[in-house]
Amino acid sequence: MLDLEFLRGLIEAVDESGIDSIEITRGGTSVRISKTPPPAAAPGPPAYGPPPAVVSSPPPGTERDGAGEAALDDGWLEVQSPMVGTFYRAPAPEAPPYVAVGTRVSKGQTLCILEAMKLMNELEAEVEGIVKEILVQNGDPVEYGQALFRIEPA
Amino acid sequence: MFSKVLIANRGEIALRIIRACRELGVRTVAVYSEADRESLHVRFADEDVCIGPPPARESYLNIPRIIAAAEVTGAEAIHPGYGFLAENAEFAEICARSDITFIGPSAEHIRAMGDKAAARRAMAAAGVPTVPGTEETVADEGEASEIARELGFPVIIKAAAGGGGKGMRVVEDEASFPRMFQTARIEAETAFGDGSVYLEKYLSRPRHVEFQLLGDSHGRVVHLGERECSIQRRHQKLIEESPCVALTPDLRARMGDAAVRGAEAIGYVSAGTMEFLLGEAGEFYFMEMNTRIQVEHPVTEMVTGYDLMKEMIRIAAGEPLAIEDKPIELRGHAIECRINAEDPSRNFAPSPGRIEAMHQPGGMGVRLDTHAYGGYLVPPHYDSLIAKVIVHGEDRPEAIARMRFALESFIIQGIHTTIPFLHELMGHADFVAGDFDTKWLERHMAEGTLVYRPVH
Repeated sequence: MLDLEFLRGLIEAVDESGIDSIEITRGGTSVRISKTPPPAAAPGPPAYGPPPAVVSSPPPGTERDGAGEAALDDGWLEVQSPMVGTFYRAPAPEAPPYVAVGTRVSKGQTLCILEAMKLMNELEAEVEGIVKEILVQNGDPVEYGQALFRIEPA
Repeated sequence: MFSKVLIANRGEIALRIIRACRELGVRTVAVYSEADRESLHVRFADEDVCIGPPPARESYLNIPRIIAAAEVTGAEAIHPGYGFLAENAEFAEICARSDITFIGPSAEHIRAMGDKAAARRAMAAAGVPTVPGTEETVADEGEASEIARELGFPVIIKAAAGGGGKGMRVVEDEASFPRMFQTARIEAETAFGDGSVYLEKYLSRPRHVEFQLLGDSHGRVVHLGERECSIQRRHQKLIEESPCVALTPDLRARMGDAAVRGAEAIGYVSAGTMEFLLGEAGEFYFMEMNTRIQVEHPVTEMVTGYDLMKEMIRIAAGEPLAIEDKPIELRGHAIECRINAEDPSRNFAPSPGRIEAMHQPGGMGVRLDTHAYGGYLVPPHYDSLIAKVIVHGEDRPEAIARMRFALESFIIQGIHTTIPFLHELMGHADFVAGDFDTKWLERHMAEGTLVYRPVH
């Protein structure tokens, strides 16, 4: 599993070495870390770090509603977690996951469960499109603003 | 001892908690808003969890996200610091229900002392002197007028649910009472959703003297001496020191005993502070009790040698107090100056922005508690405290001399700070003579006898 500690160590290693970039695949998840930013035209897995394009904060007094989404250079939308909790791909341990890479989703369709304080919260898609990437693993802790999915609007 | 503690706060106090945890061998979890990504508490904690966008309501005050952060990281306890959720009884209760230890007093204690009128009653029942005033809140203006006449003007009208100066009115004479009574009630209703007010006799030149308390879960309560906190602007403390020049050993013993008695009467556990008003003739009265660790706790640490933050965590872990069983000894003299990112020449307007360059004071007897650094972007979303300079000396003159040079050598470029203003205060004849009260600063500012000259 790609956890925060592993990724931090990887970033430090790349930073301190003469390597320009490295791509690692583990358990179906890929991470690419490079010192020079990739060309804008090529869509690749995002480097670990804060979301590249962040939805601007809502004006004071308004509640943040639903998942944040960021538009990236390749036109794919990043679905960000609106809360802190544990990420689950399915409604129950033995049940099939809500979505997989390639699943076509419609607006309002459940993408995953975010659990906190014994409450299960369903995260819904805000756009219609195809799930291109799932950036976290089942059971991972997620923080506010963390990128969970990348969806190609269609 | 806990194996992992989550710090539900930010800035200098979050670092303070991390330091204590590190020394106790406890792993730390920082929570942060998107505005605090580059913060030192995030950098130095063992783990960190982003809990929301910049507004406090959506991050540092967001109970579900903070509890969830403790759950996903496996933190066994949460330290709330000061401000934010530190005196939020509901938060303390939710921690308990979630099987997370709240490093602080119980929800009941928070509630008991948070209701200012009820706290007065409880302390009076425990034999702690209280300011002459009403036992219950007063709703009827006619009745209130009569009570005010009996107490003798000046009187102060205070919000029962309040603090921070809101819903307070000082009434000098009978004629202005009805109007002020109505205004105070409306302000209290607006600020706290509760227009209940009570009346107290008003002391015209009191000192604010508070006593540090520690209570453990084995029933032992001790006090660690006083802090003199009279230098205030709009009820916000700027300078604190220990010992208080107006306290004789006898007065210290009597006030300390009263503080312990009051805390014992309610079975208080954890760190807390009992605030007194000290009159010019040595008469002292209970004002309120703060059920949290305070900003100015380092002052007590410097004159007693005890680490209050470690004690607070140890108490929460069920350990007995590590304080010696004898009357507390205050050694030397300590002074703290709170440095705010504010512009004193523009009525202390907040001055957020990037610190371009920073040089910190140092040397013998100089301590700096800060989360600021060269290149740090002070965010506009939170309070303006960016550093605390604390000095210790053999005596008060040495402490003052140390503070003067510490402030002169504390360079912060890129934003305005209150450093020049505090430096001016350190040199003022009244301050040096120890001759001031809670109204001193505002009197001198109104009279224009304090001038802000840049020191560098």
